[in-house]
Amino acid sequence: MKTDVVVPAISLQGVSKRYGETQALDDISLDIAPGQMFALLGPNGAGKTTLLHIICTILEADKGKTLIFGVDAAKESARARRNLGVVFQQNSLDRRLTVIENLEFHGLVHGVPRRLRRQRIEELLEAVDLTARRNDLVETLSAGLARRLEIARALVHDAGILVMDEPTVGLDTESRQAIWHYIGDLRREFGLTVVTTTHYVEEVENCDTVCILDGGKIIALDDPQRLRAQYGSEYIRLVPNDASVEAALKAAYPELISPLPRGLMLRIPDPAFTKTFLAEYGDAVSELVFDRQSLESVFLALTGRHLGRPPAPNGKGGRR
Amino acid sequence: MTTARTMPKGKLPLTALFGGVYAIWLREVKRAVRDRGQLIGGLSRPLLWVIVLGIGLNPYFRGEVYGQVRFVIPYTYLQFIFPAVIVLNIMYTSVQSAVSLIWDREFGFLREVLVSPMPRPFVLLGKVLGGATVAMVHGCLVLVLARFADVAIAPSSIAYGLFLMFLLAFGLTSLGIIIASRVRSFEGFGVFSNAVILPLYFLSSSIFPLDPALSRAQTLVVYPEWLVMLIEFNPITYAVDALRGNFIGFHQFAPHLGIIVLTSVAVGFFLLALLEFRKR
Repeated sequence: MKTDVVVPAISLQGVSKRYGETQALDDISLDIAPGQMFALLGPNGAGKTTLLHIICTILEADKGKTLIFGVDAAKESARARRNLGVVFQQNSLDRRLTVIENLEFHGLVHGVPRRLRRQRIEELLEAVDLTARRNDLVETLSAGLARRLEIARALVHDAGILVMDEPTVGLDTESRQAIWHYIGDLRREFGLTVVTTTHYVEEVENCDTVCILDGGKIIALDDPQRLRAQYGSEYIRLVPNDASVEAALKAAYPELISPLPRGLMLRIPDPAFTKTFLAEYGDAVSELVFDRQSLESVFLALTGRHLGRPPAPNGKGGRR
Repeated sequence: MTTARTMPKGKLPLTALFGGVYAIWLREVKRAVRDRGQLIGGLSRPLLWVIVLGIGLNPYFRGEVYGQVRFVIPYTYLQFIFPAVIVLNIMYTSVQSAVSLIWDREFGFLREVLVSPMPRPFVLLGKVLGGATVAMVHGCLVLVLARFADVAIAPSSIAYGLFLMFLLAFGLTSLGIIIASRVRSFEGFGVFSNAVILPLYFLSSSIFPLDPALSRAQTLVVYPEWLVMLIEFNPITYAVDALRGNFIGFHQFAPHLGIIVLTSVAVGFFLLALLEFRKR
């Protein structure tokens, strides 16, 4: 009997990368199925950008193999690249060219035939609502519009895989939501596999698979619901009224408490805990926020640390 | 929902690769056209050299006597420096055009090209051809001043002249890429490129002649030996000489040397630039 074997869109097999003394990636192995929305989550320096750069062939791994639809990215990099649309963390548009010129350029360097290129560009401009801005210089676009253009550009050559490094960094909440809305639409319309890194946990809640990286290693790899169920906890975020309260809380709950950039985070071990805690410390703390099980709490449970803040909007976060 | 793609694409056909070269070339040209500062520099440089320096030194050029040696260059100073001003304009524009590589690296555009399926040699070819085209146009801006410099350009000499100019522009744009690959900042590039362009230009017999009618001993009466040797070792000397031979019919060296040196410069610097470019 003949069975259909689905080749993974991306397959990483024992990928390692070292920068001097720093082990940026350590024996990373995973498969990303076609059509998946896959997120890499982790703090600065976790190895997310390094991994993405290895996937999109601008960085070579020291060890291991990267397959793009079964094509070895190290041995046949040009062929592998034809299947990848890449959106970098830092804006990589030519600001002195117009919207349409940037898209035309991309289509030409990816060998898209003229008629198909024109058709594809029109579809994508419409998909990201930039048709009216087609002849504007990129330098006149806002950060959110430029990001939309970058995503559209990455797909001019009909890439099967969209790889994005922090696609919403530096954007306001509204623009971030808009970007994910467009990505969702494009994914449905073009049957894309999407691989993204992000610092924003709320952005990966709707992904099919989340890979949590820390110190160059995979510490968890599963769908968000299962990760939350397995590792997630409920938390209280709070700000102690003074240093003595903070010291008292740390002494009382050494296993449950962890510091935040502003205040403390307290894991709720059981439903009865909250009532007891509030009765004892309710007047000594302020700015109380109750967190449901989240991927932030999963990361905290797995590493004992918080994800931290995203890099600066045009910063060069991550290794290049 | 559309079915997810599961099949990889094949290799890029050769015709598509040349389409990519065209895209990179076109981008370089468009950027240059939109950069008014570059255009103003391309116009003002020859005007200054031809009008100020050329007219200023014209009366002192012919019939000068140095001891027993008398120059017999049968041209006015304006005519003499005219082909060298073409070279100067090409030199500046070619080398400066490579600054776009630093721009692209700094602002991320280079990565967009490096994740395309274009092989590095084709990417470099597009960049060098783009820079060389812009430099050629700047060289042609000088040709417009030919009548003013009393240089009668024969129509038959134009095609070969443009070919020589292209070889020079191609080689020097490649040199610019080599510099840009090694220099990290815009400021550093400006300083470094000037430090390369100006000595090459002044040591190319561009603004004073090595009279071919003189013997080597007579030449050494006029100029120190180190200066003559530097001029003879400088490849730009032969570019200037080839253009002089083509446009005003005056050669200081064997006529075939120009094309040989220019071809070697174009090929040699392109290969060196490719070595640098492959590293990224």
